[in-house]
Amino acid sequence: MDFQLVHGKMRNKILITINREEDIKTLKELGINTYVYPLDGFCVGYPNTFLISKIPDNSYILVNRILDNKGIDDLKELINNNLNKIKGIIFDDLGILQIIKDLKMEKILYLSHFNTNKESINIYLDYVDSVIVSTDITKKEIEDIIKFLPDKLTLFVLGYVGAMYSRRHLLDNYAKFHNIPYQNELNITNTNHDFLVMENEYGTYFYHTPLFNGLELLELNTKYYFINSAFLSVQDIKDLLEGTSKLETDTGFLYQETIFKLKGEENND
Amino acid sequence: MTELLSPAGDLERLKIALLYGADAVYIGGKDYSLRANAKNFSVDEIKEACDFAHNLKKKVYVTVNIVFHDKDLIGLDEYLDKLKNSGVDSVIVSDIVAVTLAISKKIPVILSTQASILNYEAIKFWQSLGVERFVLGREATREDIIRIKRETNANIECFIHGAMCTSISGKCVLSNYTTNRDSNRGGCAQICRWVFKSPDKPDFTLMSKDLNMVDYIEDMINIGVNSFKIEGRMRSVYYVATVINCYRKIIDGLNNHTLTEKEKLYYKNILDRVANRDTVPQFYQKFPGVNESYFQDRMEVSNQDFVGIVLDYDKKNKLVLIEQRNYFKVGDVVEFFGPNMEEYTYTIKEIIDEEGSRIDVARHPMMHVYLPLDIELEKYTMMRLKLFDK
Repeated sequence: MDFQLVHGKMRNKILITINREEDIKTLKELGINTYVYPLDGFCVGYPNTFLISKIPDNSYILVNRILDNKGIDDLKELINNNLNKIKGIIFDDLGILQIIKDLKMEKILYLSHFNTNKESINIYLDYVDSVIVSTDITKKEIEDIIKFLPDKLTLFVLGYVGAMYSRRHLLDNYAKFHNIPYQNELNITNTNHDFLVMENEYGTYFYHTPLFNGLELLELNTKYYFINSAFLSVQDIKDLLEGTSKLETDTGFLYQETIFKLKGEENND
Repeated sequence: MTELLSPAGDLERLKIALLYGADAVYIGGKDYSLRANAKNFSVDEIKEACDFAHNLKKKVYVTVNIVFHDKDLIGLDEYLDKLKNSGVDSVIVSDIVAVTLAISKKIPVILSTQASILNYEAIKFWQSLGVERFVLGREATREDIIRIKRETNANIECFIHGAMCTSISGKCVLSNYTTNRDSNRGGCAQICRWVFKSPDKPDFTLMSKDLNMVDYIEDMINIGVNSFKIEGRMRSVYYVATVINCYRKIIDGLNNHTLTEKEKLYYKNILDRVANRDTVPQFYQKFPGVNESYFQDRMEVSNQDFVGIVLDYDKKNKLVLIEQRNYFKVGDVVEFFGPNMEEYTYTIKEIIDEEGSRIDVARHPMMHVYLPLDIELEKYTMMRLKLFDK
């Protein structure tokens, strides 16, 4: 795909998470102008997060934690005290929707593994400005949803995709049990399936590896395209966008439909 | 009164659960349920289940809790109509399309634990849509539950026993990536029970021990939990009978102030014994640590405590007809437990086969034998090896 060709049309439609403020210069050169700041204290799976005080005014923030009562109280206070900072918010917990529903900010719902059908997405669009379509469905399914809801969706197009989110401190417990030094990141594998595990005080997050490359989805015209830059350098992003990267990637479930009933057990009554 | 809610994988287990003291059962249909490979219920069976439960003044909830892809929506509308016409008391759902459709049909909605609810604002969002009850995430602490009750007065359902997802429910697709089976449409392959390798490090495991809330039932009643949910729609009749029987006795004993510490210990021992994994409280009072997980390979044990189930009682000859489920012999000390009875200890003095011959051992699975017994036992009473004193 000629990214430069698509680039011109899509540059203002890409939302990219930020690892370092200094990466913005390179991203601007790439034509990407909308940056999403993983909010410190409210994210899991992000090695770099940003205190609200360090985030420029009029920015997009990411909150991907499932929040307990204290978390929702803390976020409510943070948002109310920093309304000028927040142009938009990408979030998972529907409690957040409840606290921002009357606030003037762009609301983008990222329900991880939900939002896999047009009807549900359409219902959520009564409450939010856009919905990130699940990465667990095929390209054909995404196309069908876009036909139904043009210009309303956000497509995850590049980056590591979350495969599991536990509230437990799995790496801390693992280190304690085996009496080994604690590390908050770990690469694990089983039968050629690899995951990158990251823990912080709010839980443990598993990313599937290799990273997802769905840049071909840029050809589908919709509202936004989301790039998760966690664990990627700005050079990685540049190379991936320009098609020169040597990083291993895959297309996730774009061409591989999942099953859920095993053959031979469907008529077991 | 706090509801005791049991899983049921089929009609037999549903009847067992209700007879043993469950106030309600939750079941899955052939479609749209997160245990896609369980036996599950046809619509006709759901109707039969509802009739059976309602005759006992009890309830049936049906899980429609997959995360829908577009093609899964075909037939959902008609299916919900059929459920309503069958008399189901609620549906358990997580995807907003199923929530709104069920509510539009005036079917009461229970929001599944798949919706990952841990805060009161999320409850308020779903209440605004008309959801009536909420299964909280298994990560909810005691303080979370108290605050949610205070802020929302919501009808709250909490898991009290059974297997735990390591993940926040609904936030795991490990199965999708490793087996191509969609965990959020009922295909979960339990990847959290696999062992993973990591370069130059010990094997990595993430498997949780099971949940057991016996020590906190009284407290959970006091803080206003509305329904106690048992996990396990794929568990056996014996498991369902044992777990429901124990919790029924515990809850009733607490409600009428008769439960002794000795009895509580007895039920804890029984519950520990019936589980094939260790059981512990998880998030309720403290954050799960090393003691709440396994770090080696699967540590699961099964036992042969369940030796028979009562099929009938011959009053004239004072003989109980037993269907064998595990080996037992003359001289074994067993314990009967069942609906409407206290546990009854019995030493097997005689076993009579169906031809009327005395035998020393009941060794064949599902064989029918008679035992002489002075007390009358109801159908579905269970016979297990006696292991603990009450």
